[in-house]
Amino acid sequence: MFMHGRILKPGPFPKGRTVRPVVWNMALRSTTALVGGYAAAAVLATLLARLLPIARVEATSWGMVLSFAIYAGIALWCFHEHRVLRVAALVWGIALVGGGLLWLLGVRP
Amino acid sequence: MAWIHGWLGLLAGWILFAMFLTGTASYFRPEITQWMQPEFRAKPVTSAHAAETAVAHMQRVGADDLQWYVYLPDARTAVTRVFEQRKPDPKAPRRRAPEIVLDPATGDVVRARETRGGEHFYRFHFQLQLPHPWGRWLAGLCAMFMLGAIVSGVITHKRIFADFFTLRWNKGQRSWLDAHNVSAVLALPYHAMITYTGLITLVAMYMPWPVTANYAKPADFAQAAFGAPTERAAQGTAKPLVAIGPLVADAERRFGARVATLVVRNPNDAASTVTLYRHANASLNGRGPSVTYAGSDGRFLEGAGGVGPALATAGVMLGLHVAQFAGPALRWAYFVLGLTGAAMVGTGLLLWTAKRRKPGATPFFGLKLVERLNIGVIAGLPIGMAAYLLANRLIPAETANRADAEVATMFWTWGAVAVLQVLRPARRAWTEGFAIGAAAFAVIPVVDTLTTSRGLPGSILTGDTLFAAFDFAMLAIAAMLALGAWRSARSRPVAKIRKPQSETVHA
Repeated sequence: MFMHGRILKPGPFPKGRTVRPVVWNMALRSTTALVGGYAAAAVLATLLARLLPIARVEATSWGMVLSFAIYAGIALWCFHEHRVLRVAALVWGIALVGGGLLWLLGVRP
Repeated sequence: MAWIHGWLGLLAGWILFAMFLTGTASYFRPEITQWMQPEFRAKPVTSAHAAETAVAHMQRVGADDLQWYVYLPDARTAVTRVFEQRKPDPKAPRRRAPEIVLDPATGDVVRARETRGGEHFYRFHFQLQLPHPWGRWLAGLCAMFMLGAIVSGVITHKRIFADFFTLRWNKGQRSWLDAHNVSAVLALPYHAMITYTGLITLVAMYMPWPVTANYAKPADFAQAAFGAPTERAAQGTAKPLVAIGPLVADAERRFGARVATLVVRNPNDAASTVTLYRHANASLNGRGPSVTYAGSDGRFLEGAGGVGPALATAGVMLGLHVAQFAGPALRWAYFVLGLTGAAMVGTGLLLWTAKRRKPGATPFFGLKLVERLNIGVIAGLPIGMAAYLLANRLIPAETANRADAEVATMFWTWGAVAVLQVLRPARRAWTEGFAIGAAAFAVIPVVDTLTTSRGLPGSILTGDTLFAAFDFAMLAIAAMLALGAWRSARSRPVAKIRKPQSETVHA
């Protein structure tokens, strides 16, 4: 089910090359889940708060209340998806694009 | 998902265990504080009377303060607590004025032993005795790991219904798995709720970005969301504060519930205000409404609190976590569920070692490390907590800095246990750790009887329910730890059971 299980299986990989890629893979995956996941969750929750067409205090509160569920979902998905580059690209991509969008939008008038 | 579940649980497990245990104790924070000041006996008074005596005291000691925060007593809290915000003195360094603890009946400063009381467990629960803000960040990180572990744990369990009825004793690893499943699955709604709502209690710190995107001044959000009154600057002309009792009575009529907190801004200024907050036991929503009066003539200025669904959701989440709304029966249910949380984390940690131990083989370093940390935290922390309560009775009441000494006793004892157990073989260390914990808790009612007049036989005869219940709770905890010692002494290492293919073993 996991990448982890796959790579350690004796298979097409030459024996000497299996350990280091696993370490780098896992470091990238964990950092993406922990830090990138937080950034992406913060950006999505903030976009929700900024764009919901309701009273600003309510929109702000919905963003805050839902943020940890978004974070947990993203972080676990980082360990579910096999292709680590896809994980990193999507999570950091959401954080960067969403962050840029928020910067363009500015504070709600 | 099984694999990530194991790692999330292992990395955060020890801190989570400590958070669960001290958080569970915090459901009885005011009661623990009362028990730790046995000299002071509560005399029930109305909140209006307590407010009058507190304000009279503050007029004597801090008439020109910027603000007074007054926490009124209730059915569970015996004292009035006041925090004053003094006018900044350009000569003196800025520091917070110490808390003032008053007798609600008379308004005099309470004469009782200095102690942090239940507040210490409560603060440790989310600050972990680390400097601000690192403790809160670490607690939040561990809570997030817990949330991830819960979600991945549920995904791991395809047989969640069968797990309700499965507990196989004395089967080694299998039993730890079953115990972990039973404690986790039975109370799953509680664990999920308490973890998520715990994160929500500090959401303003962990996730402030929605506020910064919507408000140029974050203080405007606090004002709109939490019923802070409109800012009114001091005029500089003196005008004495009106009698506070009638304001409290009026607010209680408006709320239909007790007033818990009153905030006086710019006392004795012409523009002074008095804001009164509803008691949290009146509603599931932890953030009650407030009303504000003019301090100079007592006229009603504004009311805050009619909030929309999102703020109500956040308020109810806070209320569910701190459980101020809960009556005695529900509070004990919360307490038991909190213990199942500690049990879930503890059995999960034990499962990690049980799964990796090979009969006859020398344990590898990681296994020994995890096992020793397990003993140090699971058997050690209860001993530390008992030492804190014992120190309260054994350190003389007049000693200087005794509150800090009590706290230091807890951590030195815990640390000593965690270090010294390494000298013993692991299985003996489990048994002896639990046995010491059981003895320490069993001794608490005895020491209470010897050092105060409110010990066990007396408290039952005089109807001192709080003290009697507290001492019985200590005996119950001692019995639980004794059971742990007995079981760990009896258990023999069982040969690893061949697991069928369908079984889910995490970690």
